[in-house]
Formats: sequence, C-alpha cells, structure tokens
Amino acid sequence: MKPESETPRFFESGGRPLYGVYYAPRATRPGAPVVVHSHSLGIEQLTNYRNEVKLARAAAARGIPTLRYHARGHGDSAGDFAEVTLSTMVEDAMAAADHARRVSGSERVVWLGVRFGAIVAAHAVRRRDDTAAVALWEPVGRAKDYFRSQLRTMLLSQVAAGRRPDETVDGLLAAVGRDGRVDVHGYYLHRSLLDSACEEDSSLALAAWTGPTLLVQIQARRSLTPAHEALARGRGATLRTERITEEPGWHFVSNPPWQSQQLVDLTVEWLDGLV
Amino acid sequence: MAWCESAAELSRARAEQPLVVPSPNGNLFGLYTPPAPEVPAAGLCVIWFTMPRSHRNRMWVEGARRLAARGFACFRFDYHGVGDSAGEPAEVEPNRPYRDDALAVIRHLRERFGERRFVLYGSCFDARTALSAFDGEADAIEGLFFMAAPVMEMDDLVRADADRKGWSHLLHALRRPDNWRSLRDPGRWKYMATVLGRIGGRTLNAEQRTPLPLSSGFRSHFDRLVRSRAHALFLYGREDREYESFREAERSLWPRLPAEARRRLTIEVWEGQVHDGILRVDRQREIVERVLAWIEALRARADSLPHAGAATASSPPGNDGARGTRGH
Repeated sequence: MKPESETPRFFESGGRPLYGVYYAPRATRPGAPVVVHSHSLGIEQLTNYRNEVKLARAAAARGIPTLRYHARGHGDSAGDFAEVTLSTMVEDAMAAADHARRVSGSERVVWLGVRFGAIVAAHAVRRRDDTAAVALWEPVGRAKDYFRSQLRTMLLSQVAAGRRPDETVDGLLAAVGRDGRVDVHGYYLHRSLLDSACEEDSSLALAAWTGPTLLVQIQARRSLTPAHEALARGRGATLRTERITEEPGWHFVSNPPWQSQQLVDLTVEWLDGLV
Repeated sequence: MAWCESAAELSRARAEQPLVVPSPNGNLFGLYTPPAPEVPAAGLCVIWFTMPRSHRNRMWVEGARRLAARGFACFRFDYHGVGDSAGEPAEVEPNRPYRDDALAVIRHLRERFGERRFVLYGSCFDARTALSAFDGEADAIEGLFFMAAPVMEMDDLVRADADRKGWSHLLHALRRPDNWRSLRDPGRWKYMATVLGRIGGRTLNAEQRTPLPLSSGFRSHFDRLVRSRAHALFLYGREDREYESFREAERSLWPRLPAEARRRLTIEVWEGQVHDGILRVDRQREIVERVLAWIEALRARADSLPHAGAATASSPPGNDGARGTRGH
C-alpha cells in the first residue's frame, strides 16, 4: 500500500459519515471512468474484502481510479445494521458515486456489485445516467432465494455440528416476521431489510441496462445457474461471462482470508479493455 | 439487544482519523478514535487486536466508539496481509503471533498522538499477538484482555482436545456423514489417528496421562506479563477447545505465581463457548459488555496512579481474585 495513492476518507450519506478508500490512478488515462464497489451484506462484506482491495489496487495501477466504501451499518461507517434496508444501501451507493466522481474528476462510473451489492448497484444504475459499465461478482438473482439460502446454510451448519435443527427455513422466516429478526451466524436478519428487498431480482432491476456487463459466477458448478442465465439473457455482445470454480465460505472469514487472483485478474483485464 | 449508535458514539465516528502505520511488514492501516473532549480523559489507549479490524457484527467498531465516548483513545487496525493493509495474506498460527505489527502500532501511537499507557484486547491469534507485545513494550501496557487463545503448539492442542473425548464421542462422530466425507482431507486422517490414539492410550493407562507442554512462545510472553505491572483477564468458555490447553497453564503456571501477580492476573470461565460464541449475537453482546466493563474498571486504577510507569499492587479490575466463573 502506498499511502499517497490510497486515501482513506469519510463522506456523508443520510446524515452519517461513511468510510471509504479512494485509489488514485498511478498514471493518467483520459476518459477513464471511476470504479465504485458495492459490497454485499453483513458478514459477506468481510469475506470478500481482500478481493475488493486487490482489485482496487490493480485497477489503480492500470490508471483506473476506484472508490471502495462501507455502507451505513457496515464496517467503519456510522449507522446501525438494524436500520439497513435496500433503499439506504442504494442511497449510500449514490452518495459514493457522487463522491467518487468528485475526487477522481471522472465523468462516468463503473459499478462493481458483489452478491447482494449487485441488486444495490442495479438500482443505482437505474437512477443515474453516468454508468459506463457494470461488473457483477456472484450476483444475487432473486433476493428471496438469497435470504432463504442464508437460513438454509445456517441450518446445515447445525447439522454439521451434530445438532438437529430446531426450525425450518419457513419457520425462521416466520420468526423474522413475528419477532423482527433472526440470528444468522452472529448477524441479525432484520425484518426491515427482508421486507425492503424480498421481491427484488437483479435481472429485472438491470433489465433496462444495455451497456457493457461482466458477470462472474463463483461456484463449484461449471454451468451458469438459472439466476445467472436470467441475468445474461438478451445481452449479446455487451456481456462477458466468466466462471470461477471455487466455493468460498461466504459466511465465515477463513484463515487465510479468501482471495482469488483469477477473479481479480479477469476483472481488471475487462476494466482495462473498457478504457 | 443489538448496538444502537448514540449521538455521542456518532460524534466519535465523525472524529475518527485514518492512520497508516509503517511496520517491517509494510504499511498497516487503522482507525484512531480520539477520546471525547467533553468527558474526563481516561489516560488510556485501547488497541483492538482483531481480524478483520471491525470483526463480526462490528463488535470492535462499537467497542472503540463507546469507549471513546467515555474518554478512552482507541485504535483498531488490520495486520499485514489483512483488510486495507499492505502485504499478502498468510495462514495465521497463534504460536507465531504478529509481534512486529503489535510493536509498530504501539510505538506509532506513542509517537503520533503521545499515547503512553495502553490496554490491549485480543481473541485467539489476536490474544497471542497482544500478549507478545509484552516482549518489548511491557512497561507501557496497563491491561490485557486475553480471550480464548490456544497456549500450546497446535498438534498438542489437538491432543489436549482429544483428552476430553471418550469412546462415546468417537462412536457419535462415526455416525455423522460429514465426518466420513471430511476424510478426503489427508490432515483429517492425522487428526482422527491422534484422537483415537489419545482415547485408546487413556483406556490402557487410565492413571498415566502425561501433561502436554505449553508452547515456549506463550511461556516466554506470559513470563514478561507476570514481571510487568499490567492487569490481565483470561476469558474462556468451558466448551472451548482452546480452554483445554489453557487448563494446563492454570495447573502449571498459576500456582507458582507470586501473590502480587496472582491478584493482577484473573481467569474467568463461562459456561458454553466463548471462542466460537461470536457466531451467536447473544454471546457477542455478553463478550462486548464484559470487555468494555473490564476496561472501564482499569480506568479507576489508572486514575489512582500518580504517573505512568509507577509499579502498583492495588486492587485488580473486574472480579478480585485468581479465578471466577460465570454461568450463562
């Protein structure tokens, strides 16, 4: 890390300071857009952290500025996780993009949406007219399936630990409705978040987007999932799809932290090609 | 109850200063939370050794901002190869703590902000790293919250863990399909052989269990803690695998401590798990509250000191004795 090229900072969104790091380009590339990372929810913000740091550094080395930020209720930003909803995350993404343009001088934005952050980025794309391209890392398709999968993973981890799960996924979802929250691996899944995003689908949110798109599936399976097929459908030559056949533990910070050089390399090559 | 940020804590968030700390392993990145100017200063700087620096559910973002609102300076940072710091990630091993990172941080905070007296918090690998800072900076450390760390070499930790298992545990484990699937990993065979060997050996020689050695690194750093004036709380969960190794330290080290040191070094054992307890919000909350209360209690002692560097044998913070147990 060169202190002069990576500048940690706070900027405002929703009346609270958000933490971010701006990666200045090492060399000037006229017309280069600024990349804005939209991270995933809760623990997934941490499990993918190093990949995002490495991508930001690699992009800056190629002359492409980047802003990584923590949405409210996440990481070093202010705000309560209990108050995070899809709309607050989109509001934060919009503020981050405005800040990124201001500090970089770039006129256009490339969004990196990671997992749930893909839905956030898709909403930001719909509201702005300065999007140059969209990169998606293992994007969530239907949010409802994503939340159900989180709960299923938690129940499976109970089975792996030799315990009989005392609930079903439907039972846990009912508990969120009834009690306002359920503990999933040390993070509450709050009703406000669930209600705000449950009907979301990244393929629908991005339906009007026709610009350059990178879709990276990160799963052990080699064929695209139905959700990723839906995202890819009808995009033709503007879409590039890649597969990383790894199965990272999204809900556990591994030792050492998960990072994929392949993921970083192919994304920065794609960014380089855009510019 | 989940953390709800107060106005005072939001004010501390606004005051936070990003900091780059040069270290032998590259630049380390962290956030310094200055103490609230409107409350009496505690005169202590709390360093959170934690990976990543916010930790699960932002436990130590909360910790830093709550303590800063009460007059403590706080610093949380990423080790080399982690988070926003430089370097490449490596598998961390508690018996090879990142002492260089720890010393670099303490010295930088002293140089940059004039901090003189430090309180260190760490869990598992982070606890061992915090403890390792006594080798070089013992005089500057007022307190250590040492949570759920192994204190043996990892092979010995597996043996120690196996010693609390019996044939019924083994039969239960054999009935679980995921244990059979895990045998694709060669390391798992070694683990199984160790467990089987320990259980079998115990059956044959019921009364002849040889004590397992503590790691030399732990002994050396612990010795420096004992010779310092710092207070320490060693917190474990009775079901923690790591606790089995710590019990050996309790058996072999504590009885030999001078009375003065025994008053300073407290052990607390909770029912259930502490190490993996962070995977449950309710246990996270208990840990956060205990850590903050213990650090707050250090303040009273710090206030009574005429100046930094003075040795003392005053009452320890938290509970007042060698050992406490809490039921949860």
